[in-house]
Amino acid sequence: MTGVAQRLPTDLAAGAGTIAGREGVRRTVISAWSAVSPFGLDRTDLVAGLRDGRRCAAPVDAPGWPAAAGEACPVPGFDARAVLGRKGTRSMDRVSALAVAATGQLLRGPDGARIDGVGADTALVLGTANGSTQSMMDFIRDSLVQERPYLVDPARFPNTAMNCATAQSAIWHGLRGPNTTVAGGRAAGLLALQYALRLHRSGRAGAIACGAAEELSAARAWLEYHTAPGWLAATRLGEGCAMVLLEPGGRPGGHGRAELAEVLALEFGVYGQPAEVGSVLARCLRRAFVTAQEPPDRVWAVASCGGPEPVRAAEENALAGVLGAGATPLRLLSTDLVGDTNAASAMFALTAVLALAAQAPAAGGRTALLTAVDRDGVVGCALLRLGTAAQERAS
Amino acid sequence: MWPTVTDPDQATADLAEHRVVITGLGVVSSIGVGAGEFQAGLLAGRSGARPISAFDTKGYEYANGCEIVGFDPTPWVRNLDPASLGRASQFSVSAARMAVDDAGLAAADLTDRHGLVAIGTTDGESRDVDQLVAQEVAGGPDRMDPALAKRVSAVRLAVAIAHELGLTDVETVTVPTACAAGNYAIGYGFDAVRSGEAEFALCGGADAMSRKTFTGFYRLGAVAPQRCQPFDRNRQGILTGEGAGVLLLESLGSARARGARIYAEVLGYGLNCDADHPVAPNQDSIARCMRLALENAKVKPEEVDLISAHGTATRANDVAEAGAIREVFGERAPRTVSMKSMLGHALGAASALATVGCVLAITGGFIPPTINHVETDPECDVDCVPNQSVRADVRVVQNNGFAFGGNNAVVLVGRYEEHR
Repeated sequence: MTGVAQRLPTDLAAGAGTIAGREGVRRTVISAWSAVSPFGLDRTDLVAGLRDGRRCAAPVDAPGWPAAAGEACPVPGFDARAVLGRKGTRSMDRVSALAVAATGQLLRGPDGARIDGVGADTALVLGTANGSTQSMMDFIRDSLVQERPYLVDPARFPNTAMNCATAQSAIWHGLRGPNTTVAGGRAAGLLALQYALRLHRSGRAGAIACGAAEELSAARAWLEYHTAPGWLAATRLGEGCAMVLLEPGGRPGGHGRAELAEVLALEFGVYGQPAEVGSVLARCLRRAFVTAQEPPDRVWAVASCGGPEPVRAAEENALAGVLGAGATPLRLLSTDLVGDTNAASAMFALTAVLALAAQAPAAGGRTALLTAVDRDGVVGCALLRLGTAAQERAS
Repeated sequence: MWPTVTDPDQATADLAEHRVVITGLGVVSSIGVGAGEFQAGLLAGRSGARPISAFDTKGYEYANGCEIVGFDPTPWVRNLDPASLGRASQFSVSAARMAVDDAGLAAADLTDRHGLVAIGTTDGESRDVDQLVAQEVAGGPDRMDPALAKRVSAVRLAVAIAHELGLTDVETVTVPTACAAGNYAIGYGFDAVRSGEAEFALCGGADAMSRKTFTGFYRLGAVAPQRCQPFDRNRQGILTGEGAGVLLLESLGSARARGARIYAEVLGYGLNCDADHPVAPNQDSIARCMRLALENAKVKPEEVDLISAHGTATRANDVAEAGAIREVFGERAPRTVSMKSMLGHALGAASALATVGCVLAITGGFIPPTINHVETDPECDVDCVPNQSVRADVRVVQNNGFAFGGNNAVVLVGRYEEHR
């Protein structure tokens, strides 16, 4: 399968490929997606990796990592210069390069040119956990160990700000609309989606590139080692950037794109103690179904970020309680698919659903549920209705 | 007591559009803690500048900053262990608690309400990251303190507020859009309350002074040796600062129904991106952002009584900003002050603190001064209200925030008037 947006008939009439919406509610739809993932540099690599059920894992052989990290899930062969060229990448850090690459892939058609309807006023919203911890720590270390404390590389100073990847992507691709970074740990992807929806609803943007990025680094691995050593040993750290193109409902058809999914509802809450995860998530889930006016038994897939116990079990219990014991949706865990990509995990869960739905005739018109539980307290869920156009083309 | 104004199940963006008012203010700053002390500092033209003690400054030729010394969070951080919070989170939680108290609310009044907590920041807990790296340099990476490692995720600046106040039905997000982040977060709160999606928003910004950021600006030649002199011919750059500003926003209907004191109204805001240079500002893009904000707020340029400038006192910012103001406002630009002359550059907290300052200017009937001013630079010849605050009738204020990466955010606040 190549990019789904590429095979649309150009004479797509208004209405065709358009998801029927609820009355009176401004609809936000997903019309394209991209992924620079542990399966490879292109979205087609993620599609193939999921189709084949490949397990991405590579031994960490870089020096300076905690031994407990074991295996990891890097984006294979990813290097800023190799992927983006030499110009403008001398001081670019890894997470910025991942975001620049994924944004480019999202906005590029099969002919390599910018897709239609994505002008300079396009907004960009990117989820993060902490930007590039490696960039921050390297910069501070230079200050501490150099002959003079100010003998740091000034060109790398912007990398230590958490908005760097988002801003770099805007600079690289000429996006002058609202440019926002949101931090939310594992829930960052859902918080980014929510931010983007508010941009739509408040009339601040038309097309919005929305995603989340995370890099693999020794610095991140060491923070994980000191924060959750058991989890570091149990999981594989992953990285990458996954993105979706959001547009007002009805708009993609005019630009030759299908509506792959509609974002029906997003709900968030906060838990203090792990024992509260179940009740807080259950409240979010119930509200999402009410807002979307969708019954829980229409859910085709449930995709979660994954993470350590006891939070995972609480998440499963909440899902079982709301969906009903007899529900058997397709069940996906981002950590199983691409490793623990932390800030990017919810967005990888979303793109995995879109990739699989495109090959599943049963998915069209049904819903997909995304859940995220961050270790620091944020709980979130998203409910989407899957489009039918993608399956029609895939079949 | 917080009466029900809208049925949350019915409230979607498309069904409701509320006016958004500010009913609570929380401030942690180098010139005063709490809205009252902060206002007194702005009126007096107090300077927060002093020799930095936050980190070892040996080896730098100069190291002044607007540091908060002797801050005690315990009056406001009542439920969490302050030691579980990094310095920026101590600031954000304290300012949020102040804003709730100031709004005449108890935390229990908020627990049944769906709300938004949005905190802007540049660096998150970079003071902790400084320490972790120092520990690594001294003893290797396995010697980093796990207690610090657990504190550094940026989302904690917002989540800790929910934890302290015992709120679970809240959307919490940290908005790390560098030095415009406070305005971003206030804008986000505005959109969420205006649409009816959130019944209240606690929004603003927080940052703690760190070696990392001081060193970066110092290396760029952007740190002034002694004092911050926005729009001055001999300005030499920023002083790094720290603190937090948090505002409690609610709908006008909600504020009226509970008889709340209304400080001011958020009229609108604008966001855009230069998409040009990682650190240098772009005059045309800044002007475009101001126009977006004015349009969103339905305010004409001539209706703006005061501009609270980003005003960092770097060569580049002040010229680009003053030029953009001329582009938008013509030759009759309103008075344009920089509170950074007093507060230094509090990074992600800066535009939140400045928004609080704008609100206090409206309610207090004064214009805060631009201190340390000797001679206005003809290249950025705004009326910066040098050195002494002045009495004035202030109805509409524009607050500018610009950031690395060309992230621009401009907020408009206005005096609350029943009919607008």
